[in-house]
Amino acid sequence: MKRIEHINRNLQKRFGGAVRCEERDGCRIVSGTLDTWQQVVAACDLAADKYSKTHVVNDIVCREVKPASPRLPSLRDTALEGDAPDVLVIGGGISGVSIARELTKWKLDVLLVDKEADLALQASGRNDGEVHPGIDLGKGSLKHYYIRRANAMYGRICEELDVPFKRVGQYVCFDKGYLKPLVGLYCLWRKYHDGIEDTKLISGEELKMREPNFSERFRFAISNPSSGCVCPYGLTIAYAENAVQNGARVSLNTAVTAMQVENGKIVSVSTNRGTIYPKLVINAAGVFADDVAAMADDRFFSIHPRRGTNSILDTKAGVLMHSIASIKELSASKTHSKGGGILHTVHDNLLVGPDAVETWEKENTATRKESIETVFDKQTKTMPKLTQRDIITYFTGVRAPTFEEDFIIEPGRRTENIIHCAGIQSPGLTTAPAVALDIEQMAVAFLRKQMPVEKNEKYDPHRKGIPVLRDMSDEERAELIRQNPDYGVIVCRCEEISKGEILDALRSPICVPTVDGVKKRVRPGMGRCQGGFCSPLVTKIIADEFGIPISEVRKSSAESVITYGKI
Amino acid sequence: MQNYDVTIIGGGPAGLAAAISACQNGAKTLLIEREARLGGILKQCIHDGFGLVRFGEKLSGPEYAERFMDEVEKTDCEIRVLTFVTRIKRMNGGFAVTLVSRDGVQTVQSRTLVLATGCRERTAKQVAIHGTRPAGVFTAGTAQHFTNLLGELPAKKCVILGSGDIGLIMARRLTLEGAEVIGVYEAKSTPSGLTRNIHQCLHDYQIPLYLSHTVTRVFGQDRLEKVEISRVDESMTPIPGTEQIIDCDALILSVGLIPENELAETLGVSLSAATKGPICDGQLMSSQEGIFSCGNALHVNDLVDYVSESGELAGKNAALYRGQSRDWVDIHTGKELLYCVPQKLNLQADNSEIVLYFRSRDVLNDCRLTLTVDGKEVFAKKYRFLRPPEMERLTLDFSSYGIRKNSDIRLEIEVKDDD
Amino acid sequence: MTELTCIVCPRGCSLRVDGEGDSITVTGNACKRGEAFAVSEMLHPMRTICTTVRTSFPDAPVLPVRVSAEIPKDRIFDVMREIKKVTLTKPVARGETVIENVLGLSVNVISESDLLLHEKREG
Repeated sequence: MKRIEHINRNLQKRFGGAVRCEERDGCRIVSGTLDTWQQVVAACDLAADKYSKTHVVNDIVCREVKPASPRLPSLRDTALEGDAPDVLVIGGGISGVSIARELTKWKLDVLLVDKEADLALQASGRNDGEVHPGIDLGKGSLKHYYIRRANAMYGRICEELDVPFKRVGQYVCFDKGYLKPLVGLYCLWRKYHDGIEDTKLISGEELKMREPNFSERFRFAISNPSSGCVCPYGLTIAYAENAVQNGARVSLNTAVTAMQVENGKIVSVSTNRGTIYPKLVINAAGVFADDVAAMADDRFFSIHPRRGTNSILDTKAGVLMHSIASIKELSASKTHSKGGGILHTVHDNLLVGPDAVETWEKENTATRKESIETVFDKQTKTMPKLTQRDIITYFTGVRAPTFEEDFIIEPGRRTENIIHCAGIQSPGLTTAPAVALDIEQMAVAFLRKQMPVEKNEKYDPHRKGIPVLRDMSDEERAELIRQNPDYGVIVCRCEEISKGEILDALRSPICVPTVDGVKKRVRPGMGRCQGGFCSPLVTKIIADEFGIPISEVRKSSAESVITYGKI
Repeated sequence: MQNYDVTIIGGGPAGLAAAISACQNGAKTLLIEREARLGGILKQCIHDGFGLVRFGEKLSGPEYAERFMDEVEKTDCEIRVLTFVTRIKRMNGGFAVTLVSRDGVQTVQSRTLVLATGCRERTAKQVAIHGTRPAGVFTAGTAQHFTNLLGELPAKKCVILGSGDIGLIMARRLTLEGAEVIGVYEAKSTPSGLTRNIHQCLHDYQIPLYLSHTVTRVFGQDRLEKVEISRVDESMTPIPGTEQIIDCDALILSVGLIPENELAETLGVSLSAATKGPICDGQLMSSQEGIFSCGNALHVNDLVDYVSESGELAGKNAALYRGQSRDWVDIHTGKELLYCVPQKLNLQADNSEIVLYFRSRDVLNDCRLTLTVDGKEVFAKKYRFLRPPEMERLTLDFSSYGIRKNSDIRLEIEVKDDD
Repeated sequence: MTELTCIVCPRGCSLRVDGEGDSITVTGNACKRGEAFAVSEMLHPMRTICTTVRTSFPDAPVLPVRVSAEIPKDRIFDVMREIKKVTLTKPVARGETVIENVLGLSVNVISESDLLLHEKREG
């Protein structure tokens, strides 16, 4: 643990008295004024202890930051006015939905809200989908505590939720042969000290055999067979649907704007759809987790957003490799950032990225040319055949780390009826199933102090996904078409998606009747033409299904108008 | 299992022409179309100008397509619409074609295949446009679908990127429907579309064309709000400091077409890097025996008349194909040529009337096209100008040029020095 | 002298027009149609328009139409307004008239397609 005097000496040295740190209420509060966001991050990093539970709270005024309030949905109604759920989950990302689903094992009224028009619209829908092996995480961190348990759960969870998951294995490749003994020792240390047992070294020849398109220069690699990939938004939606099937409620386009806190207790939560009176609040608000904590009068950590951009390559490039390749620079531990990699996705595309760029903008997911170039410069060293010409799309997500670079999974420190699931960044997708179980227990223990909490006898962990006809045998496909001929009408030719599958998405437990909502659930528009052919068709199907004019169909949000009405 | 001589994939202009000619040449023919109606992209090309070469009149896209549809109805061709090919495998010297439709999954057998799968549009991400992902960014074909098939207005105030023909046509179409077209921006220093379209779609409606400009970023969370436009240098790289922001609610992209050959690739058909279509011989047979290619799947055409012509040729040759052996020899193209089609000659075939299409790489004035065989000039033609957007067509009697197995055939352009 | 691009065919010849009135001379044209185009363009420019009319058929909400012959260029938007007034409730075959003698220009607005013949009507 850094001593406060030591921190202030370093801050003085680096920033000449512009910022200082003080310890208050078990936090390190850094305040002052700085010019750039980069300096703010550097100052807070100086004050932070990695994996510590004494968190840095960033109170620095940054001259370059233009304060922006979160984007809020335009919807205003009273649908939730006076609603009094047992548990209010804030955030429809992987953390929130997995917690909601586990809570439905109990006879509880669970309400999940998200300000976006769909689930998984922020970090949970904008990451690489890797199920991590836990090789690079230090013992003592919550990340490490959860990852082995969570990784082992993935097969079962994905089977229950009927989403594709492939344990394709991950390779960390090295080009300097002389490092082999050292890396070998590191693997052994991981095995006996950290309990990461499947990790082993493989030779350059073995790597060549398994992944012939990797660079010739690799001499050996660390192999992590427990690593896999999943569709991150697919899993998020599946968890949420299962929660809804088991009685939870999901309210989208619902933003938490304020909380009324009295005597260390949240009394009510204001939203654009009315005031809610929950017994317990779960803060799974991603990049806004510190803002939610502040509303709850329980601010003891700060999020410093970190942007990452991934590219998706045509399935034609998917044949180049079948696993996950990670770049691990030996100095990487200093940067906190993921080294990025190349991943063969569950949909047989290649995904390349991400990079890691500090930013104060929590919601700026605009892509930049530089990100793509940086990532490709790096990853073509792993696989020279990788080319930007195969890119079909790219996207940016914003991670939500604390300055301690660890998760915060704990009840409120000053406010009693809140549980924080914050600081969730990589490997947060991997750890979610295990974290959810712990938060479920915390929640039940808390609620039992004021009400009986009984088992939900009707709880069914199984969710049936929408059939994926392209992956079926001809016989299975023919049988489904016989039952519903719409399965035989192909609407999206790139991904071979039928009208029947699109209608299934529109009739699914959490219906999001937008072009993007359909795209996330059954993939029309995810292929190489990026919806060029099918987006008007999907728009028409949505209009017909709901009996609305085409001009009322949206791409995503309420304002994302596609057409302006009849010509 | 049903058995056909010729199976044609794609019911657009190429496939329709192929179906008619295959039937006329006595083949038992199957035409497969994934949409509900035949006609392909012509269904939404409601503007006129089609068919001048073939019919000597200016027809609209639907009129042109429906003439062929009427024709195909008169033949014995079996037509299956709303039917999608999921898989093709070689078997017993032919092909097993697996089809999905409302009737289920069915596999039919065919002696030959004609791939008439058309092309798709390049997307915003493929031309490295960055920024947010709002509604209102359309390829020209998508905007055309909304307007001409669904009767919906996709833009009120738009910027068009790319001066390809569909972009120019959409500039006029949206103007007619009351939308404001701020301008057409083209990264190249010369227009990509036909000169007459620049004239009748842009000049007629006072729509400005900005060459050497491109869109570099888009803005807007929900619907597009503005775009950033930059000047580009000769290598089409944006010049820093030249950015300007333009308010608009739609960006319409006409930045190129890519032949659709994903099915062809699964069958091992070799593709040309220049055309992105199958490498083929004068009979339009690809590198794979029994697989023919035509229309925009073969190479992107600017006139539908030539699409139909290649379809007819492919359909006829597929019908006549009996597994004859082939001897391929290359037609090499000089650096002034973007490409020529066909790229090969089959010495075993009748080469007395080969239709050759080519495009120049740049705008060339007063030049001379030469065809040499083993160093000897066998054909030459003068051109006052050649422009990359305008494909040239020749009919040549290759059988008279004394071509042998190892002959060196070169198609080249001599440009007069104009100092 | 005026320079024009011929729009009669895809060749798009660059035309040069000299003189005026009865003594117009055209050069640069590859065929006779180019000359006729240039003369017409100088005296009374004519254009075709291709557009759509609304229908009451749910799966074919619009039908492509065009004018049966060229109309004066400066009447394009007037004719567009007339076409917008129409909603077809019955199938119309390709070539059939949708608006007769539009605005007294001695030109009909005609259907480009048989599309509606195969469509189911509303209800």
